[in-house]
Amino acid sequence: MERNIELYLRKRKRMQIILLSISLLFYFLLPLSLIFIPDVMNQPSFFYKMPRTWLYAILQIPMTWVFVGIYHIMVTRLERLMRKEELQ
Amino acid sequence: MNPTYFLFLLYIIVCTLIITYWAAKRTKTTPRFYVAAGKLTGYQNGMAIAGDFISAASFLGIIGMVALRGYDGFLYSIGFLVSYIVVLFLIAEPIHRLGKYSLGDVVCARFPDRNMRLMMALGTVIISIFYMIPQLVASGFLLRLLLNLDYSFSVLIVGILMTIYVVTGGMIATSWVQIVKTVLLMSGTFLLTLIVFSHFNWNVEYLIEKVKEGTPFGKDFFLPGHLFANPVEFLSLQLSLVLGTAGLPHILIRLFTVRNTFQVRRSLISSTWIIGSFYSMTLLLGFGTVALLGHEQLNALDPTGNIAAPLLAYTVGGDFLLAFIAAIAFTTIIAVVAGLVIAATTAFSHDIVHHIWKKGRSTEKEQLRAARLSALAIGMISTLFALSLETINVTFLVSITFIVAASSIFPVLLLTIYWKRFTKIGAFTGFATGLLSSLLLVIFGPHVMNPIDGWIREEPLFSLYNPGIISIPLGFCGAIAGSLLSRKRSANEFERFFARAQLGVDAGRDGKWKV
Repeated sequence: MERNIELYLRKRKRMQIILLSISLLFYFLLPLSLIFIPDVMNQPSFFYKMPRTWLYAILQIPMTWVFVGIYHIMVTRLERLMRKEELQ
Repeated sequence: MNPTYFLFLLYIIVCTLIITYWAAKRTKTTPRFYVAAGKLTGYQNGMAIAGDFISAASFLGIIGMVALRGYDGFLYSIGFLVSYIVVLFLIAEPIHRLGKYSLGDVVCARFPDRNMRLMMALGTVIISIFYMIPQLVASGFLLRLLLNLDYSFSVLIVGILMTIYVVTGGMIATSWVQIVKTVLLMSGTFLLTLIVFSHFNWNVEYLIEKVKEGTPFGKDFFLPGHLFANPVEFLSLQLSLVLGTAGLPHILIRLFTVRNTFQVRRSLISSTWIIGSFYSMTLLLGFGTVALLGHEQLNALDPTGNIAAPLLAYTVGGDFLLAFIAAIAFTTIIAVVAGLVIAATTAFSHDIVHHIWKKGRSTEKEQLRAARLSALAIGMISTLFALSLETINVTFLVSITFIVAASSIFPVLLLTIYWKRFTKIGAFTGFATGLLSSLLLVIFGPHVMNPIDGWIREEPLFSLYNPGIISIPLGFCGAIAGSLLSRKRSANEFERFFARAQLGVDAGRDGKWKV
């Protein structure tokens, strides 16, 4: 396999692993925190004194938007680079 | 019969039939029938994906669940939304690059085999029909509630409509019905949210105080545990939800309806914005319901909470708003069932009839005729199922769909795309283990075995309502064990496949890689 193809595959894989691990860690920490530290999660937060677990759950919505946005930007950049190289 | 309700429903039916007539004139070839010839833009497809995904269970169910169960109800929304990260990061682009019309095409790009295609087609049909039945049953109850129509007549109306959309207009009609549904759903939900919020002087603190007064739990309403006493149940539910979408055929085949991977990503990003905004509004509507109606009243009218949204609309806007919200609920149902019919139709006519039965030799005209006949048959079968299941509680079929999809289709797709050592035998064992374990654990679990109101009046043999935490790893274990025990394939072959799936590049005859 050509070296530049291998390089692109490696870059893409690294990006996928990093973004997926962080986002899924953030997601699964919610049910795990309810199992292991329920008292901490049920304490009132600064957000209208609702329990911290609510704040954490609501944060998952912007978290999803941010991660899918970052992924799109990074992959688009990678694809542009590939196409440019092919034209050359 | 209330004329406002009737006129709103009639308006929706006429509008969607006009769309179908317009689409039917354009659906003259198989690519147009199955995937709208890949002509949708990313934003259009994103709206259609949201329309396909937000089912009656989301629109009617989540608002009621938040109102009655608080935090536990909201967790469903979070799982549904975050699942799009898994779809986008892991499988969306490879699926678009490897497949043409169906999930069978994707797996057969690596393992070209008739049995493999048959397995994926059967998985698609089973999951689509499982998901379709509760939607049809819900539509029957909704029309009965609003128009005082007989249950069977209501189901027949929806069954006939969904069949007409797909048989005549294929994917083009289905997509545009879903886009219209998304516009209506988002605008209706936004309007209702504004009206409800205005009842609390646009003050979140006042709304929270009223919620505490409206529920018997008081300030404990905001604590977790009002639906699932067991925290492992939480974890299992979250796992099934986050992986389930990546195995839902009716969502995944929508990735073929755009022309390139840039548009695939744009589709999924726009759908996450729509779905995320929608669930944020349902949270406020759930709070508004319990604050304005009170837990006792809601529970007395419907303990499942499924009519919370129509009740809330009636309370804040009278008959007119109720008719509008009910029409949106009706559109929600028909858009989702049309998406499910087209997914099952593609699997049956393209995979089973064209590739397996006719050995890929049927003409364009024959393929199109087979597709239309398959859509007709699937529409009729699902309607007949829904007609015979009136008295049985089938809402659990929605969560089963996610568990079965995450345990059977998802492991096969993921390992096909990413694991070098994966083999055909591994795909069969993984699929079979995931499907059987998820079905058996549900049958022996409290959804079906329940001494009070279960199908089997016995103590459940398995205690979890959501067995995903067991069945999903079993699906993966079955696939891994089957692969390790079978013969290895050449590594070079996988490298080429992997580069094609990930980057869309392929080696030409001259050995040079091309995008």
